[in-house]
Amino acid sequence: MPMPIERVRTDILILGSGGAGLFAALHAHDRGAGLKVTVATKGLLGKCGCTRMVQGGYNVSLHAGDSVERHFMDTVEGGKWLPDQDLAWTLVSTAPERVRELENEVGCFFDRNPDGSLHGKAFAGQTFDRTVHKGDLTGIEIINRLMEQVWKRSGIDRLEEHRALALIPTPAGDALAGVLMADIRTGSLRFVQARAVLLATGGGPTMYRYHTPSGDKSMDGLAMALRAGLPLRDMEMVQFHPTGLLAGPDTRMTGTVLEEGLRGAGGHLLDGAMRRFMEDYDARAERATRDIVSRAIYAEMRAGRTSPNGGVYIRMSHLGPDTVRRQFKGMVERCRDCGFDLAGGLVEVVPTAHYFMGGLVCRPDTATELPGLFVAGEDASGMHGANRLGGNGVANSTVFGGIAGDTMPRFVAQSGGHRDPDEALLAAEAERCLHPFTRRAGDLNALRERLMDLMWDEVGVVRDAEGLARGLAGLDALEAELLDTGIPDAGRAFNLTWHDWLNLRSQIETGRVIALAAQRRENSRGAHYRADFPEPGDLATSTYTVVRQNADGLAITDAPVRFTRVRPGESLIPPAMAAE
Amino acid sequence: MAQPAAGELSVSIWRGGAEGGFEAYRVPARASQTVLDVVTHVQRHIDPSLSYRFACRVGMCGSCAMTVNGRPRWTCRTHVSKVAEGGRLEIAPLANMPVIKDLAADMRPFFEKWQAAGGAFEPTLTRADPVEPVRPSEPARKVADAGIECINCGVCYAGCDTVRWNDDYLGPAALNRAWTLMNDRRDGAQGPRLAAVAAGGGCHACHSHQSCQEFCPQSLDPTGSIASLKRLATRAYLRGEIKA
Repeated sequence: MPMPIERVRTDILILGSGGAGLFAALHAHDRGAGLKVTVATKGLLGKCGCTRMVQGGYNVSLHAGDSVERHFMDTVEGGKWLPDQDLAWTLVSTAPERVRELENEVGCFFDRNPDGSLHGKAFAGQTFDRTVHKGDLTGIEIINRLMEQVWKRSGIDRLEEHRALALIPTPAGDALAGVLMADIRTGSLRFVQARAVLLATGGGPTMYRYHTPSGDKSMDGLAMALRAGLPLRDMEMVQFHPTGLLAGPDTRMTGTVLEEGLRGAGGHLLDGAMRRFMEDYDARAERATRDIVSRAIYAEMRAGRTSPNGGVYIRMSHLGPDTVRRQFKGMVERCRDCGFDLAGGLVEVVPTAHYFMGGLVCRPDTATELPGLFVAGEDASGMHGANRLGGNGVANSTVFGGIAGDTMPRFVAQSGGHRDPDEALLAAEAERCLHPFTRRAGDLNALRERLMDLMWDEVGVVRDAEGLARGLAGLDALEAELLDTGIPDAGRAFNLTWHDWLNLRSQIETGRVIALAAQRRENSRGAHYRADFPEPGDLATSTYTVVRQNADGLAITDAPVRFTRVRPGESLIPPAMAAE
Repeated sequence: MAQPAAGELSVSIWRGGAEGGFEAYRVPARASQTVLDVVTHVQRHIDPSLSYRFACRVGMCGSCAMTVNGRPRWTCRTHVSKVAEGGRLEIAPLANMPVIKDLAADMRPFFEKWQAAGGAFEPTLTRADPVEPVRPSEPARKVADAGIECINCGVCYAGCDTVRWNDDYLGPAALNRAWTLMNDRRDGAQGPRLAAVAAGGGCHACHSHQSCQEFCPQSLDPTGSIASLKRLATRAYLRGEIKA
């Protein structure tokens, strides 16, 4: 018997409660002229997702001597000339207003200089010390204050512990009608009909053996967008952070990030025989950029020169344990709680999948190809190109979340009432999510372990044609096994194992797109490195990948980057300023 | 419970809702193992129907707090070796909140009280204004900074005797947040907030047992914040600025 689907209505439905989702809710509520705004989130409001985990800070050109143009050039050059320049410009030119809003209206308090002005710290890959922060816990300050503002507005409805399952269009397929969701607490299905929907579930490459994002993330947003036939770009661009904690198997601590600043402050990376190796790879040694250090560690691992758990060591003790304890209090305490002595001993580290630059194609006003669907944050793409600068992630989610909250009420005003869903598709999607209950229970954990190893080995830090072909074949095999692996139907209320199954399906589907795009890009740019094509290719004729799912499977194309504001070799910064 | 075998933990986990009971599990002990890892092992390898909540894995989101051997803790940052006396663990949902299922508590009352305490910034400026210059050396700012790194995990609320006895009590986290806002000179709701925290169930209900201060994983001092609120409220009452 088909499971009943409860029907509810809202005007604006926001999927996700990170920086993008919460900002969208505030803007849509405050400008929405009485529209009903609903935030649905996989965990608790503001407590899941990754904005909260931001350590570094928020890049913004607010300081004397900096400029929007300079921030823009850093973003485009950091992105290896692949960013959509209109999106990147929107990001950097809106960031100052968003930071003033965070301080003046939301109530964040960022670190100050002794004279009371905002402090800007230095961050990798930038030509100006523009990163506004709250110690090394910037994300907590931003999300805590945003969630307080959302709670304060009784007009914003909350659907906590609700998982989005599918985007349901109209029967004609010409607009979005709403979203099928599972109420995680009760296990029931709910169709939320909405006049506008924001996809802000927050990417998150958690299908890799080592990964940093929050455990609730599983690329559901992009898996849903793919199934809705929408175009995804830059899907090969997975950013690896060089120093994830390596605490061994079967612990959720493994993969969590040890901050960039440890290397910047003079930390050393040692192989299994206690030898510093970074100078073999780059004259800047440990201070080289994230991608170079990640590839160097990966090469050491491939050569077998590893620590007991298969990574390398980070050593800080030569800087003086007390100094390290003082300068990196949070990191030292976290390692201590997990049983490691960062200040005085050695800690095993490994590169770890950190951020997803790829995502759904959108316009600067966050609209997508499907009327009624908007996108912001890590689910969106084009702002960062081949590489995201540290500090541009939270800027991206809050800038475009706010823009989405401004855009959606305008769209609603122009587009009329609620639209009816394609009932046949809705029924099919409900059946799809219940598929694991129709199969005999199997070993889901073994499948997850194999998926993480496959992505790490074949679609990871260093890629080549043969490995990617093995990766794609392996993903097909894993998908077939998953579809034949059930879970016991011991009640659907708060059934995490059901959600683990659904997570795996999203991860396999998006993992396949990553592998396909990585196979397509026969050069090495930013986060994407092909051992068989190590050169970056001609910048002036740069292209980006676009993947769509259609009736015949996945279709991939290359689209030329449009240099709408500046071409490779040019700069928007006047020469006199650039020389400073 | 029987003595655990070598290399094993004897784990007792709350199953069910408000009306439930503990069930026993045997989990392999590992060198690197947090309480969250133990719970995860049970769900992944022993009983797939076990419900619990976690998100960030690193002590930033405050989603995974549970009662571990009688005391509220973040499970993601609690190493088993620190708490498992004789290889035994008893894991229950956070106290002082309704149980949804197994180890997942309903945190809504906690967040509703945060709002009732006036725990949200009230702006006086807009995004069109420059950011307010505030020297970090200003005494009030230093006081606000001392209490600001709360991640709303609910550990203090779950460990508070007064919350257990008094349904109306706003609790340590909400009052601590109110105190940080009373020291934020950019905020425009000082009077209404002070009236809210001085009312029944507010700061005067605190008995200063100091469990919150003892249990706070961030080493904050909500007891101190609440004592300061009491002084502020009493002065305002004597001046006739708020009613009893």
